[in-house]
Amino acid sequence: MGHLLQYILNGLSKGSIYALIALGLVVIYRGTAHLNFAQGEMALFATFGAWWINDHGVPLWISIALAAIFAFVGGGVIEFGLIRPAGKKSPFAVIVVTIGLFQAMNSLSGLLFENAGTGLPFGSLFPNKPDDFWRISGSTVWRYQNIGVLVTVLVITGLLFALFQKTKIGLAMRMVANNPDSAKLSGVSVSRILMLSWALSAAIGAVGGGLVAGVNTNVNLATMFGVFLLASAAATLGGLDSPLGAIVGGLSLGVVESLVQNYPKDWPASDYIGADTAVAVAFLIILVVLLVKPAGLFGSSRVERV
Amino acid sequence: MPTTRRAIRESSPLHWGIRTMGVAAIAFIAIYLASTAKPSTLGNITEACTLAIAAVGLNLLFGFNGQISIGHSTFAGLAAFTAGYTVNAWEWNPYVSLVVGLILCFLLGLALGLPALRLKGPYLALVTLAVAFVWPTIAAKFLDQKVKASTLKGTKLEPLSWTGLSVKGKDARLDKAIFLYWAAIVILVVSYVIVRNLRKSRIGRALVAVRDNETAAAVMGVNLKLTKTVTFGISAAIAGASGWITAARLATMDETTFTILSSIKYLLALFLGGAATLVGPIVGAFAYFFVDDYLKEHAPEWDWLPGPLSKGPVASFLLGVLVIAFVFVAPFGIVGFVKDQVRKVFVIAPRPLRPAPSTAEQAMPTTEEPRPADQGPETQGRVDT
Repeated sequence: MGHLLQYILNGLSKGSIYALIALGLVVIYRGTAHLNFAQGEMALFATFGAWWINDHGVPLWISIALAAIFAFVGGGVIEFGLIRPAGKKSPFAVIVVTIGLFQAMNSLSGLLFENAGTGLPFGSLFPNKPDDFWRISGSTVWRYQNIGVLVTVLVITGLLFALFQKTKIGLAMRMVANNPDSAKLSGVSVSRILMLSWALSAAIGAVGGGLVAGVNTNVNLATMFGVFLLASAAATLGGLDSPLGAIVGGLSLGVVESLVQNYPKDWPASDYIGADTAVAVAFLIILVVLLVKPAGLFGSSRVERV
Repeated sequence: MPTTRRAIRESSPLHWGIRTMGVAAIAFIAIYLASTAKPSTLGNITEACTLAIAAVGLNLLFGFNGQISIGHSTFAGLAAFTAGYTVNAWEWNPYVSLVVGLILCFLLGLALGLPALRLKGPYLALVTLAVAFVWPTIAAKFLDQKVKASTLKGTKLEPLSWTGLSVKGKDARLDKAIFLYWAAIVILVVSYVIVRNLRKSRIGRALVAVRDNETAAAVMGVNLKLTKTVTFGISAAIAGASGWITAARLATMDETTFTILSSIKYLLALFLGGAATLVGPIVGAFAYFFVDDYLKEHAPEWDWLPGPLSKGPVASFLLGVLVIAFVFVAPFGIVGFVKDQVRKVFVIAPRPLRPAPSTAEQAMPTTEEPRPADQGPETQGRVDT
């Protein structure tokens, strides 16, 4: 059991990245009830942007911030130019547009940035030398990188919650999420809020992409795919319309993944459960949770009027 | 309604004539291609057919029953691996492996249909996405444990003797391609007929009722659980048939043969052709496959594209852009678009209803439902074959 804390700490930092991307999904879902399949690839594009800015001599943190601003604008433009008009066409149109965006964004990254397929070197965001850790007890250590990722995510989450709960814009966003028609009647510009949701979500994704690339010290075309899938699982687990759910879902998914990856090594079933099937086990747990609570842990279940 | 539009009476001789000619034209093209095309072209058509079969299966589930699945690549993979393994390791007859694969897919579909009873819309989408995500890791594990290699051989399907196609000799490659081509077409036609007959029957009406309003359907006596899970199972089995063709077509398969990207391809084919129409998935699959193929072959040579677009994965980028642009032109898919255009020229008028019983004593509940004049995108494909 000596390693339990270690595995949990590692899992928390991994899970915090899932939580951040999941938060981006939730912000969009609350507004429009659409799943953004391109969330990961939009973040990937922004991360390549951060790499490009960094390549021109700008410090890494500032480049990620600039990329997030760029993503903020880009997300708004995508909502205004593609998603909104598509939504008026047919119910399937938005799904198709986000799938098309998924493909277009990924290959655009490949087109604009040379050697994007094999990977571009990305600096580490936090001190990450072999002895950069905080010893908790015995062999259990908390690496500065893991602390840094977790703290960054928590800070961003805190800012978002402050935005949702303490500002007028946040109030309008919650109104739109709760009941768009009433929000419109109360004078909230629903379309502007939706645009803001997409912009915000893209910016969150850009930061998430930067964190992933910083941990991997590399960014390539496949970087965000797996992260996006796990983040979407985290959002499902937490409830697609609950920001708190995204955080809890992401962190717990990270911890479960880390535990399943490391623990069953000595079990008789280790031939079947191990590092490579950790994701499968995590998904199985999610499925069981969803069977009990179909709208996720914190999601609001809609009552159907007959 | 402008009076200049011609109305064609449903099931009138003219209507039957148009339909027969449509089917005859398709049959003629299929035979013509089989007798003249190169093996590579036949291979492409076979591959397009596998995409079409999976899309037809997905259409039954999503188009008609409203349950989205991004996990259909798993079913294709399961059937393909079942076939590849049983044929190579246990020397089963490939056709027996098809049947067993379909049964396994049906059962897995039923199993996945159970959680689908509780999950709606995006939750179901994400759970099925997770299934598709997990499949490659399970497949890799299976290869490790059972095959002790990183790949699994295909089924090496050989032409049956009664077809007169040669198994050995100089024409063997062409003949094998022809055989696979016909096998794929037969399975596609069978899947289409199954879905069409289901849709036109009482079950099909139940499926659509469940899609449009579950509560109302349940109130009217539709067994929700049975309908939804069995639909999932049948849809999964059809996707499995597509996987079986893939296993016959490929020399080797590995865990990357059936990934989420295949599932996304099925979905795109369905949407591009027109979801909830009978021929939509087939039209969409062929359009998607051949546009993709054309772009992959020619786009890298296009010099007129600006700067960075002239190299790298330009085909995949253009395909993504085309897909997005297409949605704005034809939001209900190719079939929806064509129907809108055709409707400007002539309409198919429904059959007149059976005359009502003359007296109150004879009044019986009529078994034939009145057909709404304009069913929108849901209108069944009658003239577009």
